Amino acid sequence: MADQSLRTGFTRRQFLQYGAVAAAAGVTLGSGAELASSASAASIPTKLRVGWNSPPDLMNPFTYESTASGEILQLIYDTLTEYDINLKAVPSLAESETASSDGRSFTYKLRSGAKWHDGKPVTSADVKYTYDTLAKNDVGQFGWTLAEFKSCDIVDALTVVISYQSAQAWNPAPLIKIVPEHIWGSFSPTKLSSYTNPHPIGSGPFTFSSWVVGQTVQVERNPHWWGALPAVPSVIWEQFENSDVMVKSLESGQIDIITEVPTLLWKALKGKPKVDAISMESFSFHHIGFNVSQSKKSKANPLIRDLDVRKALSYAFDRQQLVDLCLAGYGKPGSVLLPPSFGTLQAQIPANEQFNNNAAKANSILDAAGYAMGSGGVRNDKQGSPLSFRLICVESTDEDVLAGTICVQRAKEIGIELKLDPLDATTLGNIVYDAAAPNWDIFIWGWDSGSPDPDYLMSIELTSQIGGNADVFYSNHQYDTLYTQQAETLNVDERATILHEMQKLFYDDAAYCIMWYQSKLQAYRTDTWKGWKETKGGAVYNFTRSNYLTVKPA
Amino acid sequence: MNRRYLLRKLATLLVTLYATVTFNFLLFHVLPGSPVQLMARSGHMDAAARNQLVKFFGLNHSVFVQYLIYLRNMLHGQLGFSYVYRTPVTSVLAPAIGNTVLLLGAATVVTVVVGVALGVYSASRARTLTDATITVATLGAWSMPDFFTGMILIFGAAAWIHFLPISGISTPGLATGLLGHWWDVARHLILPALTLALVNVAQFSLITRNAVVETMVEDFVLTARAKGVGRRVVIVRHALRNALLPIVTAASLYVGMILGGAIQVETVFSWPGMGLLIYNSVEQRDYPVLEGCFLLFAIAVIATNFFADLLYHALDPRVRRT
Repeated sequence: MADQSLRTGFTRRQFLQYGAVAAAAGVTLGSGAELASSASAASIPTKLRVGWNSPPDLMNPFTYESTASGEILQLIYDTLTEYDINLKAVPSLAESETASSDGRSFTYKLRSGAKWHDGKPVTSADVKYTYDTLAKNDVGQFGWTLAEFKSCDIVDALTVVISYQSAQAWNPAPLIKIVPEHIWGSFSPTKLSSYTNPHPIGSGPFTFSSWVVGQTVQVERNPHWWGALPAVPSVIWEQFENSDVMVKSLESGQIDIITEVPTLLWKALKGKPKVDAISMESFSFHHIGFNVSQSKKSKANPLIRDLDVRKALSYAFDRQQLVDLCLAGYGKPGSVLLPPSFGTLQAQIPANEQFNNNAAKANSILDAAGYAMGSGGVRNDKQGSPLSFRLICVESTDEDVLAGTICVQRAKEIGIELKLDPLDATTLGNIVYDAAAPNWDIFIWGWDSGSPDPDYLMSIELTSQIGGNADVFYSNHQYDTLYTQQAETLNVDERATILHEMQKLFYDDAAYCIMWYQSKLQAYRTDTWKGWKETKGGAVYNFTRSNYLTVKPA
Repeated sequence: MNRRYLLRKLATLLVTLYATVTFNFLLFHVLPGSPVQLMARSGHMDAAARNQLVKFFGLNHSVFVQYLIYLRNMLHGQLGFSYVYRTPVTSVLAPAIGNTVLLLGAATVVTVVVGVALGVYSASRARTLTDATITVATLGAWSMPDFFTGMILIFGAAAWIHFLPISGISTPGLATGLLGHWWDVARHLILPALTLALVNVAQFSLITRNAVVETMVEDFVLTARAKGVGRRVVIVRHALRNALLPIVTAASLYVGMILGGAIQVETVFSWPGMGLLIYNSVEQRDYPVLEGCFLLFAIAVIATNFFADLLYHALDPRVRRT
């Protein structure tokens, strides 16, 4: 019974009129606010805004694990020496470092006038406390750096001598953040590991300002810092849950630089106005790991311990194809343990000797070893056990999942069955790092070096690291011996020779199949801060804090 | 109100709460993987430190004893310690709750007001092109996933309209007074609230429309119009009032459903509320925080249903007599 004459008094014209007024009001208010904020942006920028999507976990310089925490803490704390933009160790909190002739002890003269953020002076007592505590308690991720530590002796208020059991080819000083003894000195070992350090007090160029968990961290320039004051008045790291939104924020000017840009988004940024997308060599790789644990309780398919099987699998995969398909070309094909960013320290294996992209060779190895092709296209050993393995990877790392899919295909072509099972990072970590009874066959994962020196990456495969960092439980006594040798070899060329031998030894045992060395992809705005220097490992989110200290307003 | 009715409802509420709390506990304590192993992820923890942690988190007791400790702590307002941040769960939850309540409150107000208005408008134009257009448009918006709608709005806002912030709850490091801060938060609130509203408005507009249309053919409406009451008054005072009952039901169910949408929208917009906290805690396996969040959500849903029951009682004379 639609009755036209009783239509509601609210006519369409009125509705449109009111709507137009409301929208106009909204736009005016909104743009008013926008003008106000953009007016301030047009003047000299007062903040360096960094965007990332991995949050810091703790502000305790002993116990933090996340790279994000390290990035923040390296601005708040100083180290005796630090890495400059070329990743060379240069004096920092110590104005000089003098090595003894045998390379076992180092004398550091601290800068006079260096102060903690609470005004107290930095003295050798702080250095001694830091080194002693780290060496004694093995807390967090830096305990390993002081495995050979002997003592830290105070000569006077500004001079210390740090001694090691053996010569140190690599001095860990640039990684060890010096903490104030007058704050930490009274902590028991338990308190040390559980202390959240809510307001970090360091001696560095920036003071801690705030940490809104899950959102932002802010630091302010320290006007009393001993070094040349940075032009940046304050740094804010902003956490994004979504990479697309993070990149959009860079494009729209809400942030100044992004620490890690996913490949496809990075490609789209190239050529955008006022944005520079940069690509640098990294100290990282992604690899396929084979469970070579010799534990009697290992639940791996025992056939994975056959070197012929591992070599055949390595021959089945094409590294260049993996780089092209999984990284869109932004990386280098993998081979040995050290990425090319390590320069002459990386071992070079001629292409025709690499276990790479040769299905025919893979088939002939398996034939010669007695693995006959069974029904269903899967080879069996002489007892009839099939060459069938479980392959796990991190589901949220897209390039790894893609690599896994490709590897399953390539393995099928040589008669090996791989069952791909993507897992979340935490579960995968728990499964892999079960040193007593590891229940997995093959994984796809990656490593980032803990230092710009080969020492960290080479140390992973030590027998002593089983139960620690060792992820495939490799054990080779010759490798262990060579490691100790290179750690004490001060002559660079001699050390390189030993490192090459170690890498070839490990390569020949095929416990890893290193797929690629990925590039570090970052991007920054060109109209806010200028002077960003590219370096191996990244302009930011790297072992050096140099760019934070040297960029100037654009 | 009938005292017995109220007491009965309260008793049901408490029993439901207890069952939820117990289920919450069981859920997170039958999951595989030792929490200490999770915390000692990198492997740099010696046996002594491990034992410390086990005692600290009370993991050296049997599950039943842990359950009793859990109940006792909860009554004291302690919800445990976050594995990731090593701080009390309550301190992690507190800021997140406020942010989520703000977002959901704004979204709910917009959704209900716009939804009901659209529904009434639609009903007054029943079976015309306008009605059909509104129905199709709202259904279309409802069928799109929350995160998808959010992303569309973000790209639109970033590319064309430049004055709406596309992430976060406030501009980092903005130095203004209280009023300026509130305006900043309000600006950040627009897109996420709009996303939630767009997706969910259909529920209210459709329910309202149908309820009003159904009521319009009732005898008492015919009587009112025969008496000469204006059409607008008839719709609002007579039809809408009766349609309020299904709307109240929808609103109380909505609270439960929107919490799920909050997770998606908060993640897309980096809005630091409980949804985002849940997402991050799942990723990092921060079980105590997850327990706390789930508990709060359960309490929220139970409480809103309880108040919906009471509201029904007040609104509908037919319920009062039972």
